[in-house]
Amino acid sequence: MKLKKYLTLTRAGIMETFQFRLSFIVMIIGNLLYLIVMYFVWSAIYASSNNDIINGMAFTDTLIYLVLATAQFNLMEMYIVWEIGNNIRSGRIVLDLLKPIEYRKYIFWLFSGGVVSHFLMTFLPTFIAVAIATHGAISMGINLLYYLLSVVMAISINYSIEFIVGTICLYTESIWGINIMKQVIVLLLSGATIPIAFFPEPLKAIINYLPFQSIYNAPLSLLLDGTPAAETVLSTLGTQLIWCIIMMVISKVFWKVSLRQITVNGG
Amino acid sequence: MSEIIKLKNVSKEYKSVNHREGFIGCLKDVFSRDFKIIKAVDSISLNISQGEIVGLLGPNGAGKSTTIKIMTGILKPTSGKICVDGSIPYLNRTKYSQKIGVVFGQRSQLWWALPLVESFKILKDIYQVTDEKYEEIMKLYRSLLDIDALLHKPVRQMSLGQRTLSDILAAFLHDPKIVFLDEPTIGLDVSMKAKIRTLIHALNKEKNTTVILTTHDIGDVDALCKRIIIIDEGKMLYDNDIEHLKGFFGSYRTLKLRFDGNIQEQATHIQEVLSDFSVSVDDEWISILVDDEKENVIDIIGLLQNSYNIKDMQIEEISTEEVIKKIYEERLQ
Repeated sequence: MKLKKYLTLTRAGIMETFQFRLSFIVMIIGNLLYLIVMYFVWSAIYASSNNDIINGMAFTDTLIYLVLATAQFNLMEMYIVWEIGNNIRSGRIVLDLLKPIEYRKYIFWLFSGGVVSHFLMTFLPTFIAVAIATHGAISMGINLLYYLLSVVMAISINYSIEFIVGTICLYTESIWGINIMKQVIVLLLSGATIPIAFFPEPLKAIINYLPFQSIYNAPLSLLLDGTPAAETVLSTLGTQLIWCIIMMVISKVFWKVSLRQITVNGG
Repeated sequence: MSEIIKLKNVSKEYKSVNHREGFIGCLKDVFSRDFKIIKAVDSISLNISQGEIVGLLGPNGAGKSTTIKIMTGILKPTSGKICVDGSIPYLNRTKYSQKIGVVFGQRSQLWWALPLVESFKILKDIYQVTDEKYEEIMKLYRSLLDIDALLHKPVRQMSLGQRTLSDILAAFLHDPKIVFLDEPTIGLDVSMKAKIRTLIHALNKEKNTTVILTTHDIGDVDALCKRIIIIDEGKMLYDNDIEHLKGFFGSYRTLKLRFDGNIQEQATHIQEVLSDFSVSVDDEWISILVDDEKENVIDIIGLLQNSYNIKDMQIEEISTEEVIKKIYEERLQ
């Protein structure tokens, strides 16, 4: 009964995304253009190098990584910051706060529908296309299961970060700048735009202590590493789990404190 | 009747930035800000019983919405006690929200892209309404209006009136004890307003739901509320029946007269004779606002008949609207 309360929001989210068929087409075209640009950028990079393998990655490895990173981006980007920011601006947040569900959960489940539909409409086709086109560069074994687990945690971490940034909107009342900043930081430091292998050593060391690499780098490494050692799997998933919990707690506490701010000072 | 809403000396203060003027002032604001404290709600006490429909009136910015937000638990009062149906609204909001329904006239809680029935189903699950209860309330809705035409229409294609109607139905769906309606008839045409009033009235009667309503439309108040509360500058000016409102200033009536001759001159002259009352002139009529307790209308007519040749006359009861206008304008205590 309790779960139904949340799943109904997922269902609504799926129905709502399917109302806008055109957005899938636009998204696919947009991704294609992005990937074409990436193809030429990286082929130039590889052409200018004397080696076929840079930082342990061949050209096709890099390309596969980027295609899947893009697909994963579409899968889990929920644009929560926009949603929260706009709700704050328009005052609609008042109505959402008066629902018998915690706001943090409410927004998450509301957008989980989008994740499900994007999984079906963009992620799965892309994944299958890549698997076929590369003739088995992605090994189809236990790594798929690891990847799935890893992505679920990545979604949670990503959501917490977005929710924290969305909460900042309560104070600043502006959305655009903050959202762009978040986007750039997350996409760069998580390894979504450039594989982390290409980063200079000192930066890599820092990134290891940040939550962002758990969002893209961790699941994609698990997927692309055909036969990962048990140790690697455990440490990767373990790190993710820890970040998952830390970010969840931070976002919860930050929201609670901020909400007190509104209830005291008015919205 | 049991009292469901209790407010005692509730006040709400805001800190607001004193913005300086001009470009230089704007720059100064970045570095130092001085705050002033605004009392949005100032020591309001009231008790509302189960099943009442109460109209909350007041000019723009009077503190009506703040009062509603305090009662719904979105705002925590700066001082004073509030208790709604045994719980303190701002403490356990998630649980409290099960007991209340809300409609904010300008915003919709419905799912924009989906047909109305889907929104209802979502709300049913969120509020954990059982199937039987849901069927029961839908049956009630069907008996009140032609809801089937609305159910399968996406909310974004609805007119403002249909959407407001749907929002009201959505607010009553989980059978809340109290429903807050913040300007439900704003921007609607006359027939839609009437429809919405009938609906609110019927739902209040069927479910014995307490309804708190803010509005600028006196028609809403006349049609729905037995009791009204007038707030201005955060203070409660009036809390009583509508009938009493008219007697609040003594019983006023407007006497309208038409004479032969120059209307302006006559008006000035009448004002001199009847210095106690306010006399105004429009194109054809001279209007005298008469306080029945001071002087009988008939006596005034008699008095004027001696010196003028009355061609035509009308006596108008003062309307609720005029009384409220007077309250707003005079800010009397």
